[in-house]
Amino acid sequence: MKITDASVYPYPAGDSTLARMALEAAELGFDSIVAVGEIRSQPSGIKILRGAVINAASHKEVIKRVRDPAVRRADVVFVNAGDISFNRAVVSVNEVNVVRNIHAARRNAFDHVAARTAADRGVAVDISLAPIIQFRGTKRQKALQRYADILSLQRRYGFPLTISSDARSIMEQRSVREVRSLCALFGMTGVEVSDALASVGRLTEPELPVKVVA
Amino acid sequence: MRAKRRYILARILPYGVAVDQRQAYFSVIEAATSLLGDAAVGLAQPAVVFCEGGYIVVRCRRGTEKDIATALATITTIADERAALRTVATSGTIHALRRRMRPIRPLSEAGEAQVGETYFTVYRYPRQKVDLVEKGIKHQKSLFFTEADLEER
Repeated sequence: MKITDASVYPYPAGDSTLARMALEAAELGFDSIVAVGEIRSQPSGIKILRGAVINAASHKEVIKRVRDPAVRRADVVFVNAGDISFNRAVVSVNEVNVVRNIHAARRNAFDHVAARTAADRGVAVDISLAPIIQFRGTKRQKALQRYADILSLQRRYGFPLTISSDARSIMEQRSVREVRSLCALFGMTGVEVSDALASVGRLTEPELPVKVVA
Repeated sequence: MRAKRRYILARILPYGVAVDQRQAYFSVIEAATSLLGDAAVGLAQPAVVFCEGGYIVVRCRRGTEKDIATALATITTIADERAALRTVATSGTIHALRRRMRPIRPLSEAGEAQVGETYFTVYRYPRQKVDLVEKGIKHQKSLFFTEADLEER
């Protein structure tokens, strides 16, 4: 079972190079990370997956963007969440793996219809730790509330969750133990956190039925 | 009756940053209060008892150490400088935590490097880690590379 940080933004988007972030992630207990942006080399130590983020205003734009060569090369395709109709539509796009930025969406923007479709199609919802770590006051309360709502939908419909640090620096990366305690703030249990940390592995290498070849 | 205490050892990031104990205390209290609220922090009684050599020891009442460790994970600045605390261990004695402290010092003398238009001082650490600190007096930009990244440039 791989323990994956579902998105980090290495240099030049952040202040730490991919190799340094990989080194830190390994020390923090992760065995793979999803790096968003250009990956020129594959540092040794832990597995690096390529991630692409689509920020689109409409469902049609998402369908157009998933055909971009950069997105097609990616191991994990993220789409930023939008309004209720956008989210319902985007979870049924084949190439989309994860819906992210859910803390910034309106309440109920990811509803039971989107949850059921996500569960059927194996599309994950990302829990970003950045708002919990970096925000203060009402902004953080709102993010925790959104995550609690998502968690209750996940318990009911069973769609995958991923957990990301959204780190742009090694200072924003957190250890697996810290991830557990931060996720406990909105009611996630240790087992659910372990499951969510292993979700990226299941998205990129889905379990297929056994084929009898002879 | 004297309450039982727990001590949390955390490593300060970035390496080599000199942190004042008083400023560290303010950051811990701010993070804990904003996350847990005044009532919970009042009961936990967190205090910084040690801040040296890249490590910090935070004291709290027994039973609240998980909450305080969570709050430590939300620290992003100390004295207006970017910083982070990585929890290493929790114990009932400072003596036990001292055994877990491994001083993190630069490997060799500081060098110099240019990234874009900016000049940086280079600090090398074990495991091929290289920290670049912008030359200046205050609020310098930092970059975190590895030896290989620096050679590639």
